Amino acid sequence: MSYLVMECHPGYAVLLDEDGRFLKAANLRYEVGQTVYDPVLMKETAERQRYTMRWISSGIAAIAACFLLFFGIHYYQKYLQPYSSIYLTINPTVQMDLNRQGTVVRLTGINEDGKALLEGYDSKGKDKVTVADELIDRAIEMGFLSEGGQVSFSIDSPDDALFQEYGTELRTKVTEHLDGRITITIEITNHQDGQGQESPENSSSSTPSQPSSSQPESTLPSSPEPSRPGNVPPTSSGSTDYDDTDYDLNDNNSTNYVPPSTSTPPADTDYDPDDEGVTNYTDGNTDYDPSNGTNDDSDDDDDGDSGYDDDNNDDNADDD
Amino acid sequence: MNNEHKIVQQVYAAKEDVQAADRLIGTYLPFIKTETAKFLKRPPIEGHDDELSIAMIAFHEAIGGYSRTRGAFLKYAAMLIRSRLIDYSRREQRHSRVISLDAPAREEDTTLGEVLVGERDPHEETASRDATRAEIEELARQMKEFGVDLSNVADNCPKQQRTLDACRKALQYARENPELLDDLLKTKRLPIGQLAAGSGVERKTLERHRKYMVALLLIYTNGYEIIRGHLKQVMKGVAAR
Repeated sequence: MSYLVMECHPGYAVLLDEDGRFLKAANLRYEVGQTVYDPVLMKETAERQRYTMRWISSGIAAIAACFLLFFGIHYYQKYLQPYSSIYLTINPTVQMDLNRQGTVVRLTGINEDGKALLEGYDSKGKDKVTVADELIDRAIEMGFLSEGGQVSFSIDSPDDALFQEYGTELRTKVTEHLDGRITITIEITNHQDGQGQESPENSSSSTPSQPSSSQPESTLPSSPEPSRPGNVPPTSSGSTDYDDTDYDLNDNNSTNYVPPSTSTPPADTDYDPDDEGVTNYTDGNTDYDPSNGTNDDSDDDDDGDSGYDDDNNDDNADDD
Repeated sequence: MNNEHKIVQQVYAAKEDVQAADRLIGTYLPFIKTETAKFLKRPPIEGHDDELSIAMIAFHEAIGGYSRTRGAFLKYAAMLIRSRLIDYSRREQRHSRVISLDAPAREEDTTLGEVLVGERDPHEETASRDATRAEIEELARQMKEFGVDLSNVADNCPKQQRTLDACRKALQYARENPELLDDLLKTKRLPIGQLAAGSGVERKTLERHRKYMVALLLIYTNGYEIIRGHLKQVMKGVAAR
């Protein structure tokens, strides 16, 4: 490449290269009109270039940070954040926190036995069913659970569909897992309001040879006691008195007590099968609340309040 | 403080004005020499040491690249001079094994340069150089009528190959339509609209490189045979496309 010297200044010279570029270069004693071959060209002041580079790189960094943040939050919500919990109660009570995928993210022993059960157990990345199976195996090994015992899963989930799904899954999978080795009763309850999950196969598949397993279903007319709080699993200490629950096979929201029951004590309750929130007591001296404990709506009615009247109780009529 | 302000103002004036830049370099020549001497470990000899030229263009570069946010100008200039001198010395290391033309040849009195010069005729060379200089001076005079001088053109010259090609394309179009060049000479205005429409180059590109385009088009008006001969490459590049 040859350069034509176009102009000479004390500090520099203007050169014209063969491509038609005009360039500044060190004036190594050049004269105008001279052709030179090896000039020392002035470096481009890369100021503007550098700023654009900085802009571009900072922009890319910002976008990358946004992406990382987005996926990080997404990942956290999906895999790390506890979304629902299952309380497994045999005698040891264990709390399993699950993420949205149903994988166990944390295991906590609620009582002493529960802590003993979890001693040396690693639940990392395991599915809830696997953990439940293994914990039950451990419980059997350690003598907490034996033939004819009961296992209770209390599921604390934000929505009802998930509760149903987890309940069914746990029930079937755990039953399959224990099939042929040991017969136990599996109880699924909702941790928030203590309702049991409807399970048609509860009596048939779980414990085919055990007559006692069908007991929870057969208790509906026998129990006159509606005030039993349903959310026992985390606090119960082994002796679960499930005999007197009023769980229903196909209706888990309303307490449809039938008046002509065999029970005698509350002979003067007029429960109505098709309205549940209204307490139309007429005698005024019973303090039963139909919605107490079993369903959590209409909890404005306090239990001690007596003297309901059909005609002029405004505070009560608002509830419906 | 006040003094510092004065030099900053001078530098900012020199960024705009070529003469002011030359004056500033002249004023600070002792400073440039000192910086060069620090590098060479001996005082530079004017008109002999290339290092001094390098230091001067580095100072010129410092004028162009300085901004108030970069601290004191003289420190910035000193730093730039030092870096450019280091660059230059590294570049020159490649030639460290080459014998100087001033080295004595076989005969005692003559130097190697005089022995080797043989084929080239110094008289012819001087003559052609004079012709070239006359042409360049004429071009510079004509450019002045457009308010453009060669230093401006050098600053305004396209840096990117793509832009350079675009400018060449516009030039090619102007050459195919000589009335545009006549217009240019008559009106002393660059027919940017026609060039952009005719060649398909972005108007903005041509506007940004107006001074460069003026120089390029003037070279292709009349005369300037020698410069055009030097530039043969330009049109070859367009023809290949």
